[in-house]
Amino acid sequence: MSTKPVIHPLSQNLDTIEVEVFDTMFRLFEHIGVYWQNIDNSEPYRSELYVFMQNRINLYPIYHQYYKAAFNTINKMIVQMGEQACYQEIFTDPYANLPPVDTNLSIVRQKVSNEFIDFQLSLGGFKSFGATNYPGYIGGALIPGQPVPYRTMEKKT
Amino acid sequence: MKYDLIIVGSGIAATALSHRILEKNRNASILMLEAGQKVKMQDAALWQDYIVSGKLPYAKFNDRPYPERDMPGQNQNIGETVVPLAGSRVMTYGGSTIHWGGWSFRLKPEDFFMETNTNTSINWPIDYDTLEPYYGEAEHYIGVSGDSEDNNPPRSSSYPFPAFPYTYEDSSVAAAIHALGMDFSNVPIARHGILSSTSFNAPCKTTGTCKYCPFGARYTATNFLNHMSDEKDYPNLEIRINCVVNTIDMNAKNKAKGITYYNKTTKETLSVEAKEIIVAGGAIESPKLLQRSVSEFWLQGIGNDDGNVGRYFVTHPYFIFTADIAENKSLKQPEMNFPTLCTRHFDNKHEQAKGKFILVHPPSSPQIDIAELMKSGNSRAEIDESIKGANTVQIHGMVEIFSEFNNYVANLANAKNQIGLPQTIVDYSKSPEFNDRMAYIQSKVERIFEQMDAKIQGKPTISWRADHSACTCRMSEDPKKGVTDKNMKLHGVDNIYVCSNAAFTSTGAINPTLTLTALSLRLGDHINEKLEA
Ligand SMILES: Cc1cc2nc3c(=O)[nH]c(=O)nc-3n(C[C@H](O)[C@H](O)[C@H](O)COP(=O)(O)OP(=O)(O)OC[C@H]3O[C@@H](n4cnc5c(N)ncnc54)[C@H](O)[C@@H]3O)c2cc1C
Ligand code: SF4
Repeated sequence: MSTKPVIHPLSQNLDTIEVEVFDTMFRLFEHIGVYWQNIDNSEPYRSELYVFMQNRINLYPIYHQYYKAAFNTINKMIVQMGEQACYQEIFTDPYANLPPVDTNLSIVRQKVSNEFIDFQLSLGGFKSFGATNYPGYIGGALIPGQPVPYRTMEKKT
Repeated sequence: MKYDLIIVGSGIAATALSHRILEKNRNASILMLEAGQKVKMQDAALWQDYIVSGKLPYAKFNDRPYPERDMPGQNQNIGETVVPLAGSRVMTYGGSTIHWGGWSFRLKPEDFFMETNTNTSINWPIDYDTLEPYYGEAEHYIGVSGDSEDNNPPRSSSYPFPAFPYTYEDSSVAAAIHALGMDFSNVPIARHGILSSTSFNAPCKTTGTCKYCPFGARYTATNFLNHMSDEKDYPNLEIRINCVVNTIDMNAKNKAKGITYYNKTTKETLSVEAKEIIVAGGAIESPKLLQRSVSEFWLQGIGNDDGNVGRYFVTHPYFIFTADIAENKSLKQPEMNFPTLCTRHFDNKHEQAKGKFILVHPPSSPQIDIAELMKSGNSRAEIDESIKGANTVQIHGMVEIFSEFNNYVANLANAKNQIGLPQTIVDYSKSPEFNDRMAYIQSKVERIFEQMDAKIQGKPTISWRADHSACTCRMSEDPKKGVTDKNMKLHGVDNIYVCSNAAFTSTGAINPTLTLTALSLRLGDHINEKLEA
């Protein structure tokens, strides 16, 4: 992939993602795997999530604010209702999923959690649902003599 | 300075043509003028943005939708059938292959003889055998993965890369087609495979985000242009972006002097001269440029004394049939982003008079979207149930439509789009026979669905979007019937060529771009001979 990334002019002067903000975002990412039982151990994806968040900020500086807002909202919710109920609400509250994005919870859901879901599936979270390949997942090339990187008609790999 | 060649546009036609010329004559002087600007390719952040939001970084270079009551919009549709321009082309450095699907079929021999076989339309001035070697070269140039054993239509060379095996999702459709005594085949697809030598095109890693490939594995002219200008030693190749060609300027009735263009960056209007002018602006813009190049020599625009420029406009209606299945026990899901199975069973001489068609099994059938199910708050158990329970499957396809004089495109006076090109008038009305043809197609698709235990939902959705627009400067040996001759040279002018789907005489039932590339390579040989002479 290209070595010179696209960076929004307003993103160039932003601080790097704060450690505590990233930790909270990573916990949210981990809980996607826990809630949907599709990734047991999210630890190997820690650095990929960081790069993903940095890329979002580079493209759209407002993501710096979204991640901070999500950090505040999630930590407040955990204090109020405990961890499990907090993530359950983030993942399932029907109103938080309705546009426009105009509440703290809808920021967490639509700008952070939903995007992490897409990202998590493309990293391999789709596999537990039964497929071998998935749009966004780097399945691999067709290499003669090696297994095809997706399920084929002849053989269900 | 007088260039050997000015090329209007920088899409695949322009890129393949200049590649061919420069391969033989690296010193040829070529000025390529592109109205649009560059899009960053293979960027990780843009790729991830596409994954999470579906946003494509080049969408802003599409046409806007037609005006609606509450929306100003762009262009004008005045025919009975709405043929959307929005989404049908990209006005950018590298042109529309930045978003194409890469389906790379060849026409069949009978497609070149429409008039002989059906008494309608006209024949191509060349035949399949003339184009066959160029088809092979085009497949290698683009990098097509396909089944080299598939000899329908006949082929004298292999594909550069093997076909992608049919997906597991294809199983039920394949079984149904087979049970009905029909044949199916691999979709030849513009995805690079593994090469023993190094290449600037990485092999396809089946990532499934092909509208913005993170590796450049799907052919896009953008990557090839970058390679030609950055890596190759072509001292006299010049590509100017943000330059809108306004007119072609004539010295005499049969001789073009050069062109006049507006540079949006410097805000200058400039004229340049060349020995040969190639109009490669796509099937909408190419005729419009000729139409507006009015002079004392050509009062209705260049090559337009008989009023044929912009006429015979045609595209493929793309249809989608959907059916319900009661269960999906084997958990079939979308694993790829391009189709692997099609049938050209109805793409034959027998069907030609009424409209040949192909059927394709899309990669999104069954239509399962795990991400959407999760985002909507479904539990794991609900999602599992949704995957293995009732679902919908689809069959897509395209049918050949016959081009007719009354259907045309033209410049819309005093209105420009965001790229600086004149807006477009589209006048298209589908033929009265079209609905009957679709009913016939539906009867065939219904049988396939029945074999799959799938219940068709009813009539298909049909998109008339101008993705495959063609024939607007069609080739014919008879100047009264066509705008260009067998070399895509304008009748009546010695040095203007239309290198575009616009020069097609008819379209067959398949996507046009492999044929366009073959024609561009062939034109490259013709121009090289001319330049040498
Ligand atoms: C969604 C979609 C999917 C498709 N999938 C397939 C597929 O799977 N297989 C297939 O075969 N085909 C496919 N096509 C069609 C394919 O994209 C076109 O056939 C092909 O890109 C045409 O190439 P071109 O070089 O003629 O024109 P373009 O690629 O459109 O390039 C023309 C360029 O010229 C520029 N230009 C025009 N006029 C001027 C002017 N006056 N001055 C300066 N610049 C100008 C434009 O800005 C543009 O960049 C698809 C099309 C669409 C829309
Ligand atoms: S499948 Fe992936 S690697 Fe292949 S062309 Fe599409 S995006 Fe590129």
